[in-house]
Amino acid sequence: MAEVNKADSLETEERSQLVRRGSLHWVHWLVVFLSIILTVGAWYIASEQVAQKNQEKFQRQAEQVIGLVEERMHLYENALWGGVAFLDANRGKTNYSQWLIYASSLDLDQVYPGINGIGVIYNIKPAQLEDYLAEERKLRPDYGLHPAHKEKEYWPITYIEPSKNNAKAVGLDMAFENNRYSAIQKARDTGKAQITGPIVLVQDAKKTPGFLFYTPFYKEGKKPETIDDRRADIVGVTYAPFIMSKLMLGTLASENRQVRIKISDNETLLYADDDQGANAANPRDDNPLFVKNVGVEMYGRTWLFNIESGLSFREDPSNDQPSWILIGGLVIDSMLLALFVFLTRVNRKALAYADKMTAALRDESQRLIKTNHDLEQFAYVASHDLKAPLNSINQVVSWIEEDCRDLLPEKSKEHIGMVKGRCQRMMTLLKDLLDYSKVGRFEYSSEPVSLRQISNDILVLHGKDQKFSCEVPDITINIPRVPLDIVLRNLISNSIKHHDKENGIIKIIYEERDHGHFIRVEDDGPGIPDDMHSKALEMFQTLQPRDKVEGSGMGLAMVKKIVEHHKGTFQLEENRERGTCYIIFWPFE
Amino acid sequence: MKADTSEVTLLLVEDDDIDAASIERSFLKQRIGNSIIRAHDGVEAFELLKGGAVPYPFMVLLDLQMPRMNGLEFLDKLRADPELDDTLVFVLTTSKSDQDIVESYNKKVAGYFVKEEAGINFIDVVNMFESYWRVLHVPTEPRTL
Repeated sequence: MAEVNKADSLETEERSQLVRRGSLHWVHWLVVFLSIILTVGAWYIASEQVAQKNQEKFQRQAEQVIGLVEERMHLYENALWGGVAFLDANRGKTNYSQWLIYASSLDLDQVYPGINGIGVIYNIKPAQLEDYLAEERKLRPDYGLHPAHKEKEYWPITYIEPSKNNAKAVGLDMAFENNRYSAIQKARDTGKAQITGPIVLVQDAKKTPGFLFYTPFYKEGKKPETIDDRRADIVGVTYAPFIMSKLMLGTLASENRQVRIKISDNETLLYADDDQGANAANPRDDNPLFVKNVGVEMYGRTWLFNIESGLSFREDPSNDQPSWILIGGLVIDSMLLALFVFLTRVNRKALAYADKMTAALRDESQRLIKTNHDLEQFAYVASHDLKAPLNSINQVVSWIEEDCRDLLPEKSKEHIGMVKGRCQRMMTLLKDLLDYSKVGRFEYSSEPVSLRQISNDILVLHGKDQKFSCEVPDITINIPRVPLDIVLRNLISNSIKHHDKENGIIKIIYEERDHGHFIRVEDDGPGIPDDMHSKALEMFQTLQPRDKVEGSGMGLAMVKKIVEHHKGTFQLEENRERGTCYIIFWPFE
Repeated sequence: MKADTSEVTLLLVEDDDIDAASIERSFLKQRIGNSIIRAHDGVEAFELLKGGAVPYPFMVLLDLQMPRMNGLEFLDKLRADPELDDTLVFVLTTSKSDQDIVESYNKKVAGYFVKEEAGINFIDVVNMFESYWRVLHVPTEPRTL
């Protein structure tokens, strides 16, 4: 039982280590926690980068849109100044057919997409009106001004090409309406290109926002320096009407933009991307990522560009990168956690299995210990209890021998002798068996023992000290006396009993090494053949018939049991020509 | 005054017939004329004593391991009995156990012998009785209460 308990305490330490590995350690949590931090960090940085990149992209696209609009307006301005140059070259004069030729040579549809037409507006004072009308009616008999107004001058659209789309505009007097009139006055007064505020073109059946673009020209191609000179010398303006939606379609249609724009002039909406027009591929984002409002000076007006990112901006695949990083990272983290949980569960299972096996082994070893104990107990009780009836048999037989000495035939007396002999042998057997089962029942502590003294005592006790001698070193060793005595007695007695000659020498050689006693007991008897050595150490084995040499066959088995009980070894030396040599290793306590 | 100790009766309490026979045989062999009365266990021995079947003076040679009532139980009963509590008892048993020896002397036995050390046919114990009785003095009459 003590063995089992010792094994238990050894096991406890290793077991507690396994138990620790059976649950998630703080290191596991730290690793998981750090990897989550890492994931979130990577996600945050990537998001920041994407946000910054998007911000830059939006800025770039917004500037690009504004730049495109400005560039296009500049192109139109140039076209109008071209018209001015043409008129200047003609001293401010032209007629319907000349303008038709000029305008058609501009190839408006191809070169100036988005422009609705290009025309000439003359400034007519009331005194000149009759002459003007007469002049124009030469080529266009039904030409007339409309609508009527109360201003003291007229700014009628005289020519506009292509005339097909602009028929309603011909003869329209710009002074009838403030937007048109104030812008044209401004153009006259500044000498620069100007646009009107938002208006609805008369030729636009859809009534969508538009504006007019004016460039003034003066008498004899002059460019007067002062407002007064300009007012005095003004002849008219070249002009172009724009329908805003068409303009934007022409300007921005080819661009694959991800921003949506709204242009307004003084809070009147000029243009807004809708889902059919120039920006159909980029639907509106109800909650735009970026919004920008820029006021742009545009030929005397301020156009407010309201630019916001559209849905396609949001749906840009590169925007999803941070999300993928986050999702991927979290998946890896959870797999890591799952791995840890799995590993600890495997450990727990292994531990449970080991526990089960240990318990089974412990049960088994306790059962074995008990069985062994029971066997020894049985051997003890059996040999003890067998002795009494055996004694009785022996006694009764000797009574018969005594009482019937004169009556029994010689043969029967011989038989009685055999019965007594067998009884004696059985007695010895039982005694040795009893001794064998007693080995280990008592523990003896080491004491100084004189090797020569103990050996000689055994020899004397055996009664053969005259014929056998014992060579033994005169030393004192520290060893349990009683077990050593039993061992030496059995060995010496064996040597004498099995000797094939009358006289013999028994040699005992002692050496102290490897923390133990080495004792060799040699005799010069017949020896035991090598192949019988293991058999010789078994219980109840005799190498000669019992009738020849009396012996229980327990002697060497007992020696082996005693030596092994003291954690030593007992063996027979091999390859000997003659004699037996027993080698005992008996470790110190 | 020396009583005739050849009249001392031995009450032999022994369950084993051969052991009992051994003692009887040794008595005969040593020509000891004292009578032996045999009981097989404590119960029978006590009945014999109480029933007056054992004439005065007497001693008891007691085995310990017996059926029905063992030796130690018999001693208890004997020492508790006012008529018999002074009885001389010797123990002859197979037991070498210290516990049995100590308990026996606690119950005032006069001697404790182990069977296997008592010689062939218990001759040593028988010789001891012979010498003992030769020089022994006992009261001529039993105690009167």
